[in-house]
Amino acid sequence: MAALEYFEVECPEPLGAEYYRQITNDVLLDHNLLKVIEKLHIYIDPKVPLFVAVGTLRKITTIVRVRDFANVNPLEGKITLVISNETYLAPMLKLFWERFGKEHVEQPDRFTVMLYDVRTAPAEIEDLVVADPSESLFKDLIYAFRCIAPEGFRLRSEKFSKEKFSFVASENTLSEDIDSLVATKFALIGVKP
Amino acid sequence: MTLVPVTYKGGIYQHDIIIDLIEDLGGYIVQKHIIAAEVVLQCFVPKDDIEQIRRIAKPLFGEVTDSPLVGTEIAIVSMSLEIHHLPHPSCDIAEYVRRIGAKSNMVSLARGPGKRIAGLNDEERDVINEHDIAVYLLGNFETCIEYKIPTLRRGIEVPIILCGGPDEATLRRITNPPVEGYVGNVGRFMRRTKESDQLEKLDEIVAEITRVVEKKRDDIAKDPLSVSPARLMDLIREKVPDINEVTSPTPLTVQMRGLRVKLPYDRYAAPLRAIEIEDGITIGDISEVVPSRMRDYILVKILPFSETNTVI
Repeated sequence: MAALEYFEVECPEPLGAEYYRQITNDVLLDHNLLKVIEKLHIYIDPKVPLFVAVGTLRKITTIVRVRDFANVNPLEGKITLVISNETYLAPMLKLFWERFGKEHVEQPDRFTVMLYDVRTAPAEIEDLVVADPSESLFKDLIYAFRCIAPEGFRLRSEKFSKEKFSFVASENTLSEDIDSLVATKFALIGVKP
Repeated sequence: MTLVPVTYKGGIYQHDIIIDLIEDLGGYIVQKHIIAAEVVLQCFVPKDDIEQIRRIAKPLFGEVTDSPLVGTEIAIVSMSLEIHHLPHPSCDIAEYVRRIGAKSNMVSLARGPGKRIAGLNDEERDVINEHDIAVYLLGNFETCIEYKIPTLRRGIEVPIILCGGPDEATLRRITNPPVEGYVGNVGRFMRRTKESDQLEKLDEIVAEITRVVEKKRDDIAKDPLSVSPARLMDLIREKVPDINEVTSPTPLTVQMRGLRVKLPYDRYAAPLRAIEIEDGITIGDISEVVPSRMRDYILVKILPFSETNTVI
Protein backbone atom coordinates (compact mmCIF):
# COMPACT_ATOMS: atom_id res chain seq x y z
CA MET A 1 0.00 0.00 0.00
CA ALA A 2 2.99 2.26 -0.55
CA ALA A 3 1.23 4.42 -3.13
CA LEU A 4 -1.39 5.75 -0.71
CA GLU A 5 -0.47 8.63 1.53
CA TYR A 6 -3.11 7.75 4.10
CA PHE A 7 -5.15 4.58 4.41
CA GLU A 8 -7.29 3.62 7.39
CA VAL A 9 -10.18 1.23 7.93
CA GLU A 10 -12.28 2.11 10.96
CA CYS A 11 -14.65 -0.50 12.36
CA PRO A 12 -15.95 -1.53 15.81
CA GLU A 13 -14.77 -5.10 15.02
CA PRO A 14 -10.96 -5.04 14.77
CA LEU A 15 -10.77 -8.36 12.90
CA GLY A 16 -13.38 -7.23 10.39
CA ALA A 17 -11.40 -4.01 9.83
CA GLU A 18 -8.27 -6.04 9.11
CA TYR A 19 -10.11 -8.19 6.52
CA TYR A 20 -11.57 -5.14 4.82
CA ARG A 21 -8.15 -3.52 4.70
CA GLN A 22 -6.96 -6.58 2.81
CA ILE A 23 -9.97 -6.63 0.48
CA THR A 24 -9.57 -2.92 -0.31
CA ASN A 25 -5.90 -3.39 -1.05
CA ASP A 26 -6.56 -6.37 -3.35
CA VAL A 27 -9.39 -4.70 -5.25
CA LEU A 28 -7.57 -1.40 -5.80
CA LEU A 29 -4.48 -3.28 -6.88
CA ASP A 30 -6.47 -5.44 -9.31
CA HIS A 31 -8.17 -2.42 -10.86
CA ASN A 32 -4.94 -0.42 -11.07
CA LEU A 33 -6.37 2.39 -8.95
CA LEU A 34 -3.66 2.71 -6.31
CA LYS A 35 -1.95 5.43 -8.34
CA VAL A 36 -5.13 7.45 -8.58
CA ILE A 37 -6.14 7.62 -4.92
CA GLU A 38 -4.13 9.83 -2.59
CA LYS A 39 -5.88 9.38 0.76
CA LEU A 40 -8.55 6.89 1.72
CA HIS A 41 -10.57 6.46 4.89
CA ILE A 42 -13.10 3.66 5.21
CA TYR A 43 -15.61 3.47 8.02
CA ILE A 44 -17.79 0.38 8.48
CA ASP A 45 -20.40 -0.12 11.16
CA PRO A 46 -22.03 -3.56 10.82
CA LYS A 47 -24.55 -2.71 13.53
CA VAL A 48 -26.35 0.04 11.55
CA PRO A 49 -25.24 -1.31 8.95
CA LEU A 50 -23.23 1.30 7.07
CA PHE A 51 -20.21 1.49 4.78
CA VAL A 52 -18.53 4.85 4.17
CA ALA A 53 -15.47 5.47 2.03
CA VAL A 54 -14.04 8.96 1.64
CA GLY A 55 -10.86 9.95 -0.12
CA THR A 56 -8.95 12.38 -2.24
CA LEU A 57 -7.72 11.86 -5.77
CA ARG A 58 -4.40 12.65 -7.38
CA LYS A 59 -4.21 14.72 -10.52
CA ILE A 60 -3.52 12.39 -13.38
CA THR A 61 -2.62 13.47 -16.86
CA THR A 62 -1.86 10.17 -18.46
CA ILE A 63 -3.03 10.52 -22.01
CA VAL A 64 -1.87 7.47 -23.96
CA ARG A 65 -0.19 8.27 -27.25
CA VAL A 66 1.03 5.92 -29.97
CA ARG A 67 4.69 6.41 -28.97
CA ASP A 68 3.97 5.14 -25.46
CA PHE A 69 3.50 1.58 -26.63
CA ALA A 70 4.78 1.37 -30.22
CA ASN A 71 7.91 2.00 -32.25
CA VAL A 72 7.27 3.80 -35.53
CA ASN A 73 9.73 2.87 -38.32
CA PRO A 74 9.29 4.47 -41.75
CA LEU A 75 10.72 2.37 -44.59
CA GLU A 76 10.33 2.70 -48.37
CA GLY A 77 6.85 4.16 -48.57
CA LYS A 78 5.42 2.15 -45.71
CA ILE A 79 5.46 2.69 -41.97
CA THR A 80 5.93 -0.27 -39.65
CA LEU A 81 4.73 -0.07 -36.05
CA VAL A 82 6.14 -2.55 -33.56
CA ILE A 83 3.78 -2.87 -30.62
CA SER A 84 5.17 -3.55 -27.17
CA ASN A 85 1.89 -3.53 -25.22
CA GLU A 86 -1.37 -4.79 -26.67
CA THR A 87 -3.70 -2.99 -24.24
CA TYR A 88 -4.43 -0.08 -26.57
CA LEU A 89 -4.06 -1.94 -29.87
CA ALA A 90 -7.78 -2.04 -30.63
CA PRO A 91 -8.45 1.70 -30.12
CA MET A 92 -5.30 2.47 -32.13
CA LEU A 93 -6.42 0.36 -35.10
CA LYS A 94 -9.84 1.99 -34.98
CA LEU A 95 -8.20 5.41 -35.07
CA PHE A 96 -6.01 4.41 -38.02
CA TRP A 97 -8.97 3.02 -39.96
CA GLU A 98 -10.90 6.24 -39.52
CA ARG A 99 -7.97 8.42 -40.43
CA PHE A 100 -6.22 6.52 -43.21
CA GLY A 101 -8.86 4.05 -44.38
CA LYS A 102 -8.85 0.28 -43.97
CA GLU A 103 -7.05 -0.39 -47.25
CA HIS A 104 -3.95 1.45 -45.95
CA VAL A 105 -3.72 -0.40 -42.63
CA GLU A 106 -2.56 -3.97 -42.31
CA GLN A 107 -1.79 -6.14 -39.28
CA PRO A 108 0.33 -9.14 -40.31
CA ASP A 109 0.70 -10.41 -36.73
CA ARG A 110 -0.16 -9.56 -33.14
CA PHE A 111 2.70 -7.17 -32.58
CA THR A 112 3.07 -5.51 -35.97
CA VAL A 113 0.93 -2.94 -37.77
CA MET A 114 1.85 -1.62 -41.25
CA LEU A 115 0.64 1.59 -42.85
CA TYR A 116 0.88 1.85 -46.66
CA ASP A 117 0.86 5.05 -48.71
CA VAL A 118 0.33 7.31 -45.75
CA ARG A 119 1.40 10.93 -46.16
CA THR A 120 1.47 11.79 -42.46
CA ALA A 121 4.93 12.25 -40.93
CA PRO A 122 6.07 9.47 -38.58
CA ALA A 123 6.54 11.99 -35.76
CA GLU A 124 2.94 13.06 -36.15
CA ILE A 125 1.76 9.45 -35.95
CA GLU A 126 3.75 9.00 -32.75
CA ASP A 127 1.89 11.92 -31.21
CA LEU A 128 -1.62 10.64 -31.98
CA VAL A 129 -3.75 10.34 -28.86
CA VAL A 130 -5.13 6.80 -28.58
CA ALA A 131 -6.94 6.81 -25.25
CA ASP A 132 -7.61 8.86 -22.17
CA PRO A 133 -7.93 6.59 -19.14
CA SER A 134 -9.28 9.40 -16.97
CA GLU A 135 -12.52 9.32 -18.99
CA SER A 136 -13.53 6.04 -17.41
CA LEU A 137 -11.92 6.80 -14.07
CA PHE A 138 -15.09 7.50 -12.11
CA LYS A 139 -16.77 4.44 -13.58
CA ASP A 140 -13.79 2.31 -12.50
CA LEU A 141 -13.72 3.86 -9.04
CA ILE A 142 -17.43 3.28 -8.43
CA TYR A 143 -17.12 -0.30 -9.65
CA ALA A 144 -14.13 -0.91 -7.37
CA PHE A 145 -15.96 0.46 -4.33
CA ARG A 146 -19.02 -1.64 -5.14
CA CYS A 147 -16.68 -4.65 -5.00
CA ILE A 148 -15.17 -3.55 -1.72
CA ALA A 149 -18.42 -2.71 0.07
CA PRO A 150 -20.33 -5.66 1.56
CA GLU A 151 -22.62 -7.01 -1.13
CA GLY A 152 -25.94 -6.62 0.61
CA PHE A 153 -25.42 -2.86 0.93
CA ARG A 154 -27.36 -1.86 -2.14
CA LEU A 155 -28.61 1.61 -1.23
CA ARG A 156 -25.79 3.88 -2.25
CA SER A 157 -24.94 7.53 -2.41
CA GLU A 158 -21.86 8.38 -4.44
CA LYS A 159 -20.25 11.78 -4.89
CA PHE A 160 -17.23 11.95 -7.14
CA SER A 161 -15.45 15.13 -8.17
CA LYS A 162 -12.00 15.82 -9.60
CA GLU A 163 -10.37 16.22 -6.19
CA LYS A 164 -12.34 14.11 -3.73
CA PHE A 165 -15.01 11.45 -3.51
CA SER A 166 -17.37 9.89 -1.03
CA PHE A 167 -19.14 6.54 -1.29
CA VAL A 168 -21.83 5.60 1.21
CA ALA A 169 -23.70 2.29 1.14
CA SER A 170 -26.18 0.56 3.40
CA GLU A 171 -28.94 -2.00 3.16
CA ASN A 172 -31.36 0.34 4.96
CA THR A 173 -32.47 3.80 3.89
CA LEU A 174 -29.62 6.21 4.51
CA SER A 175 -30.32 8.52 7.44
CA GLU A 176 -30.63 12.25 6.85
CA ASP A 177 -27.57 13.17 8.89
CA ILE A 178 -25.34 11.04 6.67
CA ASP A 179 -23.71 14.16 5.19
CA SER A 180 -22.44 15.28 8.58
CA LEU A 181 -20.94 11.80 9.16
CA VAL A 182 -19.24 11.99 5.78
CA ALA A 183 -17.95 15.46 6.70
CA THR A 184 -16.40 14.14 9.95
CA LYS A 185 -14.69 11.37 8.01
CA PHE A 186 -13.40 13.92 5.49
CA ALA A 187 -12.03 15.93 8.41
CA LEU A 188 -9.95 12.91 9.42
CA ILE A 189 -8.07 13.05 6.14
CA GLY A 190 -7.77 16.83 6.33
CA VAL A 191 -10.39 17.84 3.79
CA LYS A 192 -12.81 20.66 4.54
CA PRO A 193 -16.25 20.46 2.94
CA MET B 1 -16.93 -56.88 4.61
CA THR B 2 -16.29 -53.20 5.27
CA LEU B 3 -15.76 -51.00 2.26
CA VAL B 4 -13.45 -48.03 2.66
CA PRO B 5 -13.19 -45.03 0.32
CA VAL B 6 -9.85 -44.71 -1.46
CA THR B 7 -8.37 -42.94 -4.45
CA TYR B 8 -6.18 -44.76 -6.95
CA LYS B 9 -3.81 -42.69 -9.06
CA GLY B 10 -1.72 -44.23 -11.76
CA GLY B 11 -0.76 -44.38 -15.40
CA ILE B 12 -3.26 -45.21 -18.08
CA TYR B 13 -1.19 -48.25 -19.15
CA GLN B 14 -2.86 -51.46 -17.93
CA HIS B 15 -5.19 -49.56 -15.59
CA ASP B 16 -7.97 -51.98 -16.58
CA ILE B 17 -6.14 -54.59 -14.50
CA ILE B 18 -6.78 -52.45 -11.43
CA ILE B 19 -10.42 -51.85 -12.40
CA ASP B 20 -10.97 -55.61 -12.83
CA LEU B 21 -9.19 -56.29 -9.54
CA ILE B 22 -11.34 -53.82 -7.60
CA GLU B 23 -14.50 -55.25 -9.11
CA ASP B 24 -13.39 -58.85 -8.47
CA LEU B 25 -12.65 -58.04 -4.84
CA GLY B 26 -16.19 -56.73 -4.45
CA GLY B 27 -15.35 -53.04 -4.57
CA TYR B 28 -17.06 -50.30 -6.56
CA ILE B 29 -15.70 -47.55 -8.74
CA VAL B 30 -17.54 -44.32 -8.03
CA GLN B 31 -15.75 -42.02 -10.43
CA LYS B 32 -13.14 -42.50 -13.10
CA HIS B 33 -11.18 -39.61 -14.55
CA ILE B 34 -8.67 -39.92 -17.35
CA ILE B 35 -6.47 -36.84 -17.45
CA ALA B 36 -3.84 -37.01 -20.21
CA ALA B 37 -1.91 -40.19 -19.43
CA GLU B 38 -3.09 -40.42 -15.83
CA VAL B 39 -6.05 -42.27 -14.38
CA VAL B 40 -7.75 -41.29 -11.14
CA LEU B 41 -10.21 -43.79 -9.71
CA GLN B 42 -12.36 -42.93 -6.74
CA CYS B 43 -13.60 -46.16 -5.33
CA PHE B 44 -14.81 -48.20 -2.41
CA VAL B 45 -12.68 -51.26 -1.72
CA PRO B 46 -12.76 -53.94 0.99
CA LYS B 47 -10.60 -52.81 3.91
CA ASP B 48 -8.57 -56.06 4.09
CA ASP B 49 -7.65 -55.97 0.41
CA ILE B 50 -6.05 -52.53 0.20
CA GLU B 51 -2.58 -54.03 0.66
CA GLN B 52 -3.19 -56.46 -2.18
CA ILE B 53 -4.26 -53.65 -4.51
CA ARG B 54 -1.12 -51.71 -3.50
CA ARG B 55 1.03 -54.76 -4.26
CA ILE B 56 -0.50 -55.30 -7.69
CA ALA B 57 -0.43 -51.57 -8.50
CA LYS B 58 3.24 -51.22 -7.59
CA PRO B 59 4.73 -52.37 -10.93
CA LEU B 60 2.31 -49.97 -12.66
CA PHE B 61 3.47 -47.08 -10.42
CA GLY B 62 -0.04 -46.76 -9.05
CA GLU B 63 -0.75 -45.13 -5.72
CA VAL B 64 -3.58 -45.93 -3.33
CA THR B 65 -4.48 -43.21 -0.84
CA ASP B 66 -7.25 -42.88 1.72
CA SER B 67 -9.82 -40.30 0.77
CA PRO B 68 -12.62 -40.19 3.29
CA LEU B 69 -14.78 -37.89 1.19
CA VAL B 70 -15.30 -40.30 -1.72
CA GLY B 71 -18.99 -41.09 -2.05
CA THR B 72 -20.21 -37.87 -0.47
CA GLU B 73 -22.05 -34.98 -2.06
CA ILE B 74 -21.31 -31.66 -0.41
CA ALA B 75 -23.16 -28.37 -0.83
CA ILE B 76 -20.91 -25.32 -0.79
CA VAL B 77 -23.38 -22.60 0.10
CA SER B 78 -22.25 -19.26 -1.24
CA MET B 79 -24.20 -16.13 -0.37
CA SER B 80 -24.50 -14.97 -3.99
CA LEU B 81 -23.09 -15.29 -7.46
CA GLU B 82 -21.59 -11.79 -7.46
CA ILE B 83 -17.93 -10.91 -7.86
CA HIS B 84 -17.84 -10.37 -4.07
CA HIS B 85 -17.82 -14.11 -3.39
CA LEU B 86 -16.72 -15.67 -6.65
CA PRO B 87 -14.28 -16.99 -7.65
CA HIS B 88 -12.65 -16.44 -4.27
CA PRO B 89 -13.32 -17.92 -1.80
CA SER B 90 -16.34 -20.01 -2.93
CA CYS B 91 -14.79 -21.66 -5.99
CA ASP B 92 -11.44 -22.18 -4.26
CA ILE B 93 -13.07 -24.19 -1.49
CA ALA B 94 -15.42 -26.11 -3.81
CA GLU B 95 -12.47 -27.05 -5.99
CA TYR B 96 -10.28 -28.06 -3.06
CA VAL B 97 -12.79 -30.53 -1.62
CA ARG B 98 -13.25 -31.97 -5.10
CA ARG B 99 -9.56 -32.85 -5.20
CA ILE B 100 -9.89 -35.20 -2.27
CA GLY B 101 -12.80 -37.11 -3.69
CA ALA B 102 -15.97 -35.31 -2.67
CA LYS B 103 -18.58 -34.32 -5.24
CA SER B 104 -19.16 -30.69 -4.40
CA ASN B 105 -21.99 -28.56 -5.72
CA MET B 106 -22.12 -24.82 -5.31
CA VAL B 107 -25.45 -23.60 -4.03
CA SER B 108 -25.76 -19.87 -4.41
CA LEU B 109 -28.58 -18.10 -2.64
CA ALA B 110 -30.86 -15.66 -4.42
CA ARG B 111 -30.99 -13.33 -1.42
CA GLY B 112 -28.03 -14.44 0.65
CA PRO B 113 -26.01 -11.25 1.14
CA GLY B 114 -26.61 -8.49 3.65
CA LYS B 115 -27.72 -8.54 7.25
CA ARG B 116 -31.46 -7.83 7.61
CA ILE B 117 -32.27 -8.64 3.98
CA ALA B 118 -30.66 -12.12 3.93
CA GLY B 119 -33.06 -14.97 3.30
CA LEU B 120 -33.40 -18.58 2.20
CA ASN B 121 -36.25 -19.75 -0.03
CA ASP B 122 -37.88 -23.18 -0.12
CA GLU B 123 -36.10 -24.34 -3.27
CA GLU B 124 -32.69 -23.47 -1.84
CA ARG B 125 -33.57 -25.20 1.41
CA ASP B 126 -34.68 -28.38 -0.38
CA VAL B 127 -31.62 -28.43 -2.64
CA ILE B 128 -29.28 -28.06 0.36
CA ASN B 129 -31.16 -30.82 2.18
CA GLU B 130 -30.51 -33.19 -0.73
CA HIS B 131 -26.78 -33.13 0.06
CA ASP B 132 -24.83 -34.97 2.73
CA ILE B 133 -23.46 -31.86 4.41
CA ALA B 134 -23.59 -28.12 3.77
CA VAL B 135 -20.60 -25.78 4.06
CA TYR B 136 -21.79 -22.22 4.70
CA LEU B 137 -19.40 -19.52 3.59
CA LEU B 138 -20.26 -16.32 5.40
CA GLY B 139 -18.73 -12.88 5.63
CA ASN B 140 -16.34 -11.01 7.86
CA PHE B 141 -18.54 -9.40 10.50
CA GLU B 142 -19.61 -11.10 13.70
CA THR B 143 -22.69 -8.88 14.01
CA CYS B 144 -24.00 -9.84 10.58
CA ILE B 145 -23.34 -13.57 10.99
CA GLU B 146 -25.09 -13.59 14.36
CA TYR B 147 -28.08 -11.81 12.84
CA LYS B 148 -28.49 -13.86 9.67
CA ILE B 149 -27.48 -17.42 10.59
CA PRO B 150 -30.86 -18.32 12.23
CA THR B 151 -32.58 -17.37 8.94
CA LEU B 152 -30.11 -19.21 6.75
CA ARG B 153 -30.26 -22.47 8.72
CA ARG B 154 -34.05 -22.60 9.07
CA GLY B 155 -35.31 -25.98 7.84
CA ILE B 156 -31.83 -27.34 7.06
CA GLU B 157 -31.61 -30.93 8.28
CA VAL B 158 -28.12 -31.85 7.07
CA PRO B 159 -25.01 -31.10 9.18
CA ILE B 160 -23.74 -27.56 8.66
CA ILE B 161 -20.12 -26.42 8.69
CA LEU B 162 -19.88 -22.69 9.28
CA CYS B 163 -16.98 -20.73 7.81
CA GLY B 164 -16.68 -17.06 8.65
CA GLY B 165 -14.31 -14.19 9.24
CA PRO B 166 -14.38 -14.13 13.07
CA ASP B 167 -12.30 -16.71 14.92
CA GLU B 168 -13.70 -20.11 15.83
CA ALA B 169 -14.49 -19.27 19.45
CA THR B 170 -16.56 -16.26 18.37
CA LEU B 171 -18.44 -18.31 15.78
CA ARG B 172 -19.28 -20.87 18.45
CA ARG B 173 -20.47 -18.13 20.79
CA ILE B 174 -22.82 -16.52 18.28
CA THR B 175 -24.55 -19.66 16.99
CA ASN B 176 -27.24 -21.11 19.19
CA PRO B 177 -27.96 -24.03 18.95
CA PRO B 178 -24.46 -24.91 17.73
CA VAL B 179 -23.88 -26.24 14.22
CA GLU B 180 -21.81 -29.38 13.56
CA GLY B 181 -18.56 -27.78 12.46
CA TYR B 182 -16.74 -24.44 12.59
CA VAL B 183 -13.83 -22.96 10.70
CA GLY B 184 -12.84 -19.46 11.75
CA ASN B 185 -10.79 -16.76 10.01
CA VAL B 186 -12.03 -17.59 6.55
CA GLY B 187 -14.55 -14.96 5.49
CA ARG B 188 -14.78 -12.95 2.30
CA PHE B 189 -11.48 -12.28 0.58
CA MET B 190 -10.63 -11.26 -2.96
CA ARG B 191 -7.38 -13.00 -3.79
CA ARG B 192 -6.52 -16.46 -4.98
CA THR B 193 -5.60 -19.00 -2.31
CA LYS B 194 -2.07 -19.98 -3.25
CA GLU B 195 0.14 -18.97 -0.31
CA SER B 196 0.97 -21.70 2.16
CA ASP B 197 -1.00 -20.16 5.04
CA GLN B 198 -4.10 -19.91 2.84
CA LEU B 199 -3.69 -23.52 1.74
CA GLU B 200 -3.41 -24.52 5.39
CA LYS B 201 -6.76 -22.84 5.94
CA LEU B 202 -8.26 -24.92 3.11
CA ASP B 203 -6.78 -28.03 4.70
CA GLU B 204 -8.42 -27.01 7.95
CA ILE B 205 -11.81 -26.78 6.20
CA VAL B 206 -11.25 -30.22 4.65
CA ALA B 207 -10.28 -31.66 8.06
CA GLU B 208 -13.47 -30.27 9.58
CA ILE B 209 -15.59 -31.64 6.71
CA THR B 210 -13.90 -35.04 7.14
CA ARG B 211 -14.60 -35.02 10.88
CA VAL B 212 -18.30 -34.27 10.32
CA VAL B 213 -18.54 -36.88 7.53
CA GLU B 214 -16.92 -39.55 9.73
CA LYS B 215 -19.38 -38.73 12.50
CA LYS B 216 -22.27 -39.09 10.07
CA ARG B 217 -20.83 -42.42 8.82
CA ASP B 218 -20.72 -43.67 12.42
CA ASP B 219 -24.35 -42.67 12.88
CA ILE B 220 -25.33 -44.53 9.71
CA ALA B 221 -23.36 -47.60 10.87
CA LYS B 222 -25.59 -47.84 13.94
CA ASP B 223 -28.61 -48.46 11.70
CA PRO B 224 -27.07 -49.68 8.43
CA LEU B 225 -28.62 -49.00 5.06
CA SER B 226 -30.51 -51.82 3.35
CA VAL B 227 -28.09 -51.70 0.42
CA SER B 228 -24.85 -49.87 -0.20
CA PRO B 229 -25.31 -46.80 -2.46
CA ALA B 230 -22.25 -47.83 -4.49
CA ARG B 231 -23.78 -51.23 -5.20
CA LEU B 232 -27.01 -49.60 -6.32
CA MET B 233 -24.97 -47.36 -8.61
CA ASP B 234 -23.35 -50.38 -10.29
CA LEU B 235 -26.73 -52.05 -10.67
CA ILE B 236 -28.42 -49.00 -12.23
CA ARG B 237 -25.50 -48.57 -14.61
CA GLU B 238 -25.99 -52.17 -15.73
CA LYS B 239 -29.81 -52.22 -15.93
CA VAL B 240 -30.53 -48.72 -17.25
CA PRO B 241 -28.25 -48.34 -20.28
CA ASP B 242 -29.62 -44.83 -20.99
CA ILE B 243 -27.51 -43.54 -18.11
CA ASN B 244 -24.45 -43.91 -20.31
CA GLU B 245 -25.88 -41.34 -22.72
CA VAL B 246 -26.04 -38.64 -20.04
CA THR B 247 -23.35 -36.03 -20.54
CA SER B 248 -23.04 -34.86 -16.90
CA PRO B 249 -19.64 -35.55 -15.34
CA THR B 250 -21.25 -37.86 -12.78
CA PRO B 251 -24.52 -39.25 -14.19
CA LEU B 252 -24.91 -41.28 -11.01
CA THR B 253 -23.82 -39.34 -7.94
CA VAL B 254 -23.21 -41.46 -4.88
CA GLN B 255 -24.23 -39.97 -1.56
CA MET B 256 -23.90 -41.34 1.92
CA ARG B 257 -27.55 -42.40 2.18
CA GLY B 258 -28.56 -42.72 -1.44
CA LEU B 259 -27.79 -41.51 -4.88
CA ARG B 260 -28.80 -38.95 -7.44
CA VAL B 261 -29.73 -40.34 -10.86
CA LYS B 262 -29.46 -37.71 -13.55
CA LEU B 263 -32.35 -38.94 -15.69
CA PRO B 264 -35.82 -37.37 -16.03
CA TYR B 265 -38.10 -38.46 -13.20
CA ASP B 266 -41.26 -38.80 -15.28
CA ARG B 267 -39.92 -41.41 -17.66
CA TYR B 268 -37.44 -43.30 -15.52
CA ALA B 269 -38.80 -43.40 -11.96
CA ALA B 270 -41.16 -46.36 -12.52
CA PRO B 271 -38.63 -48.60 -14.33
CA LEU B 272 -36.04 -47.68 -11.70
CA ARG B 273 -38.30 -48.78 -8.85
CA ALA B 274 -38.93 -52.10 -10.60
CA ILE B 275 -35.26 -53.08 -10.93
CA GLU B 276 -34.59 -56.28 -9.03
CA ILE B 277 -31.52 -56.27 -6.81
CA GLU B 278 -31.54 -59.83 -5.49
CA ASP B 279 -34.06 -62.56 -4.59
CA GLY B 280 -37.05 -60.60 -5.89
CA ILE B 281 -36.27 -57.47 -3.82
CA THR B 282 -36.59 -54.38 -5.97
CA ILE B 283 -35.15 -50.90 -5.59
CA GLY B 284 -38.65 -49.64 -4.79
CA ASP B 285 -38.86 -52.04 -1.82
CA ILE B 286 -35.83 -50.78 -0.01
CA SER B 287 -35.70 -47.14 -1.02
CA GLU B 288 -37.76 -44.07 -1.76
CA VAL B 289 -37.47 -42.91 -5.35
CA VAL B 290 -38.43 -39.23 -5.31
CA PRO B 291 -38.08 -36.29 -7.69
CA SER B 292 -35.10 -34.09 -6.95
CA ARG B 293 -35.39 -30.31 -6.69
CA MET B 294 -32.29 -30.14 -8.84
CA ARG B 295 -33.53 -30.00 -12.48
CA ASP B 296 -35.72 -33.03 -13.22
CA TYR B 297 -33.37 -35.57 -11.68
CA ILE B 298 -34.30 -38.58 -9.56
CA LEU B 299 -33.21 -38.91 -5.95
CA VAL B 300 -32.98 -42.43 -4.51
CA LYS B 301 -33.11 -42.40 -0.71
CA ILE B 302 -32.09 -45.78 0.66
CA LEU B 303 -34.05 -46.84 3.73
CA PRO B 304 -32.22 -48.17 6.81
CA PHE B 305 -32.43 -51.73 8.10
CA SER B 306 -34.83 -50.74 10.89
CA GLU B 307 -37.48 -49.80 8.33
CA THR B 308 -37.14 -52.55 5.73
CA ASN B 309 -35.76 -55.42 7.84
CA THR B 310 -33.51 -56.45 4.95
CA VAL B 311 -29.85 -55.96 4.20
CA ILE B 312 -28.55 -57.08 0.84
